[in-house]
Amino acid sequence: MKIHQLTYIAYCLKMDIFFYITAFVTLFSTIMVITRHNPVHALLYLVISLLSLSVIFFLLGAPFVALLEIIIYAGAIMVLFIFVIMLLNLGKETAAQEKAWLKPKIWIGPVILSTILLAELVYLITMAQPPSYTLQTVDSKAVAISLFGPYLIGVELAAMLLMAGVVGTAHIGQQKKTVLHRFLKEEEPS
Amino acid sequence: MSGNDFIALSPLLLLTGSSVLIMLLIALKLSHRNIQLSSLLLFILAFFSLFYEPDVSPHHIEPLLVVDRFAVFIMGLIIFSGLVVNILSYIYFEEKEEGPKEYYVLLFLCTLGACVLATSKHFISLFLGLEILTVGLYALIAYLKARHHNIEAGIKYLVLAAFSSAFLLFGMALIYLQTGSMEFSIIGRSLHSLPSLPPLFLTGLGMMLVGVGFKLAVVPFHMWTADVYQGAPTPVTSFIATVSKGGVIAVLLRFFIVIDGFRFSPLMLMLMSIAIASMIVGNLLALQQKNVKRILAYSSIAHLGYLLVALIPGSVMSIQAVSFYLAAYFITILTAFGIMTILSTKENDAEDIESYKALFWKHPLLACIFSAALLSLAGIPLTAGFVGKFFILAASLQAGFWMIAFVLVIGSVIGLYYYLRIISKMFSGRGGVPRKEQRSHPVFYLVSVIVLSLLTLFIIWFGVYPSGLIYFVDYFRLNM
Repeated sequence: MKIHQLTYIAYCLKMDIFFYITAFVTLFSTIMVITRHNPVHALLYLVISLLSLSVIFFLLGAPFVALLEIIIYAGAIMVLFIFVIMLLNLGKETAAQEKAWLKPKIWIGPVILSTILLAELVYLITMAQPPSYTLQTVDSKAVAISLFGPYLIGVELAAMLLMAGVVGTAHIGQQKKTVLHRFLKEEEPS
Repeated sequence: MSGNDFIALSPLLLLTGSSVLIMLLIALKLSHRNIQLSSLLLFILAFFSLFYEPDVSPHHIEPLLVVDRFAVFIMGLIIFSGLVVNILSYIYFEEKEEGPKEYYVLLFLCTLGACVLATSKHFISLFLGLEILTVGLYALIAYLKARHHNIEAGIKYLVLAAFSSAFLLFGMALIYLQTGSMEFSIIGRSLHSLPSLPPLFLTGLGMMLVGVGFKLAVVPFHMWTADVYQGAPTPVTSFIATVSKGGVIAVLLRFFIVIDGFRFSPLMLMLMSIAIASMIVGNLLALQQKNVKRILAYSSIAHLGYLLVALIPGSVMSIQAVSFYLAAYFITILTAFGIMTILSTKENDAEDIESYKALFWKHPLLACIFSAALLSLAGIPLTAGFVGKFFILAASLQAGFWMIAFVLVIGSVIGLYYYLRIISKMFSGRGGVPRKEQRSHPVFYLVSVIVLSLLTLFIIWFGVYPSGLIYFVDYFRLNM
């Protein structure tokens, strides 16, 4: 019995160490994202940040969400981002501009303020009774059952949310053809 | 889901179906008029479906939604405002350069989001409803995309709303960590035995209040209000002022009642300071404005402060006061923005206070309607706004909140100044010979004026004989 308990404590300790390392990586890479002058470097850090987030999800016992995080964010969205940034061909000028904007004089005040807020938050969280959570694995089957069982209305509502987004983007994004000369103007379909 | 569930959800289902149907009609390349008329019909249909709600209240649709009398009342207000905005939109958008058809799809979706908020009893439905509302509003605010003000307002709303949603989610996560559930009643049960709030819960709720406060535009989360009100197309502004705030107030009230948040003094202190700050700052900022839309934006901050005053006592009477004030505020603000919509021209909106000079001599009827609406906003007797304010004062004095009641009175007195400034502008000067203007859409102009006159009649009717509405509000009260 005693040995079993000991192994359990060792297990928890190991998980804790894993968690802290991952959390450090996440925080560090996210800070690097917002301090890089070159957008491509920033995006590479963002990929790392998303990856380490997915590791945290995995440690919390949600492998399905962890994979979704990699497939959707790190995979699809980030690749699109990097392609667009590379196509835009942002070079030295943007880096210089960003550098000019990011003077310590400008950001030191907000940083101090938000550090105070963060310290308050950490204090509040540590003051509370440590929440006891049971580790239980949430696999894809459990996710599917809860999505299409009790939370079916939520899925439908998410569909309407996407529809609002798509209709809105379609409207904002559509452009009238600019006519350079009246001879080039096509006949308006009446 | 059983058949009863479908009947209880019929307004939501109808709104959802309508948005899809209108999208199909757009694909059929129908004209703007046909699309407007069919969406009007669908709005009326959704409104009347509320009368077929099963009266066995409350009807729970586990775990996300609950349809009770209060939800039906708020949904009625929301769908009614959607309907009025829909009527007013035709003349406004028909003259503009953009194809106005997608507008109606988004209008339905935003109304759906607000209705989901009014019925939600779970953080997931709260967040989804709020996001449907907000994502629809991004596009609606920036709808006339060729105009710089619109795009600017849209971007401002997008950035700030996304940021506040992040706060809301973080707050929800903290509360979930503390209580182990996202359903209001279970959260309430886990707090039931506690004498004071756990710090983690308080932090979470504070963060949620940031998110909710942003949507309500209360001080100190009010920075976006004036710019967005000014930049958005006028019908959309009236939609933001009514629907998006009504839904959020409803869910806030439900959450506080279910978790019985009124017995925790730190929470009440937070709400009270927000309410006092909103009443003072809103009214003071409105004093120096020259733009009517901005005046109404700042006054809406103050009005939301008044609503929070009504919410703070947490008694039976305060729920009635919130419902009554919401109804009065909805009708009044729709009337005020309706007049602005009608007076807007193809190029610019009637938002400069100078454009209201001598309005009474040019359009006596419109000036009278606008005056009635402004007087009701100011809370002059014989208008619905007065009875609403009286109700709020009674509710807060009954519970012994003298301080905020006093601030409310001071705020109303300051508010009187800028409302009367607009009114005096309308009556000043001589209009000379009223020239006959050629209206491009006489039928819709007439319909809009009739709708606004009816709303004005409501304002005065509820101000003179409030007992009908009070009975109605009491019948549709949220059960404690």
